[in-house]
Amino acid sequence: MEYYHSPDTIQDAFSIAEKCDGNFIYFAGGTDVQIYRKQNLDKNDHIIDLSSIHDLNSISLKDGNLTLGAMTSLGDIITSNKIQNKYPLLVEAAKSVATPVIRKTATIGGNILVRNRCTFYNQSQEWRNGVGSCLRDVGDICQVTGGKNDCYSRNVSDTAAALIALNAEITLLNSAGVSQQPLKDIFLPCGIKFHDLGNDNILTQISVSMKPKRWWYKKLRLRKTLDFTSLTVAATIDINNIARICLNGVSMTPILIEEPLETLTLENLIKQARKNCKTVDNDLMPLKYRREMINVFLEEWWEYEHRK
Amino acid sequence: MEKVALTVNGFTQLVLVESHETILDTIRNRLNLTGTKKCCDEGTCGSCTIMMDGKPVLGCLTPTLRCVGKKILTIEGISAGENLHSVQKHLVKSLGLQCGFCTPGVVMTAVPFLEENPKPSRDEIKENLSGNLCRCTGYKKIIDAVENAAEEMQS
Repeated sequence: MEYYHSPDTIQDAFSIAEKCDGNFIYFAGGTDVQIYRKQNLDKNDHIIDLSSIHDLNSISLKDGNLTLGAMTSLGDIITSNKIQNKYPLLVEAAKSVATPVIRKTATIGGNILVRNRCTFYNQSQEWRNGVGSCLRDVGDICQVTGGKNDCYSRNVSDTAAALIALNAEITLLNSAGVSQQPLKDIFLPCGIKFHDLGNDNILTQISVSMKPKRWWYKKLRLRKTLDFTSLTVAATIDINNIARICLNGVSMTPILIEEPLETLTLENLIKQARKNCKTVDNDLMPLKYRREMINVFLEEWWEYEHRK
Repeated sequence: MEKVALTVNGFTQLVLVESHETILDTIRNRLNLTGTKKCCDEGTCGSCTIMMDGKPVLGCLTPTLRCVGKKILTIEGISAGENLHSVQKHLVKSLGLQCGFCTPGVVMTAVPFLEENPKPSRDEIKENLSGNLCRCTGYKKIIDAVENAAEEMQS
């Protein structure tokens, strides 16, 4: 039996969630979660749709600090003059997500917390019945590695990569109160439990105060539209010349490499990236190609950064 | 099942729907408005695009219960009787359709886009229609049609 709830306030959402006793899922835009439900990968009885909570949908820029409500649609971010002027990296990342129509519904909060993906998991029930279920579903081995302990599904959030490169902070609300933490800290190196927010927290706000001197962004995917990322690289240089390079789509979490530009070498950057990315053959693009493209993208960024 | 009031193409009707139902299934199966097509059913092809409060949404990803209190417009409500909308007229004129399965989605994507961007560039049209798959035309004629419709709508 399924039930749909559409609370008007966060407090209402919490009280509904409490009554559902863990058997629920939050809908932000719902554009991704809806597919999980159709594929029988999400079997919670209760849907709590947050789209009627209007105070989570705002864009504000005060003293150069950007604050986004978590329910702000990606389309609104792309068309916002404030963000286009001050944080074009975020606009570029949002533009690379899905299609223009989906971006009008999909939210920044939903995209940051998008579920990890794997070619052996994100399939129809029939496909999974034919090939065999994996660890993350109801099976007992990983279909990619044959292992029994670890899931390597990939974090595919493009906006998370950009926001981590921008050193963004997020605001979480739970029944006990409000807390803030750097976005990069919420992700866990596990394909099944890929963030530590739990069911009792709602992501309400994203704040960016960093003012990057330069930025760079590139996404690898099969089609120029719609597809989830096979590799995203977002990079910024701050006023103290610290480089923040975030790679996503190639490991269970976004991978951040942060180092002063003066001491960073291309060889060391590639070495760190390759070491930290737990890349396995779980994407439509071949593993060897994706690994090679990590080098290519980082070399491109390096050339861009050191151009004369 | 829940009884809800849905406003579709200007008419408000009481409909019995399941909690998990999408608006695509509701308008096709309960309201018999089969102009909106069900194809991939997972947000990939754009053929189920409809408008909700003037904004294009994918019917297959939108819960019906989210549409309560909103104004839904489907392909059946886009023309004024037998007078086709400019986008429809130019799709016919420019041969922007063959089997026609993707056409309702193309129209419902292009119409709100042209209302927001009356003078789009060809690249902007391509980008905006990038979520609408067509296996017949090769897209060129669809893009021509939307370009021509934009010109007509301005004049």
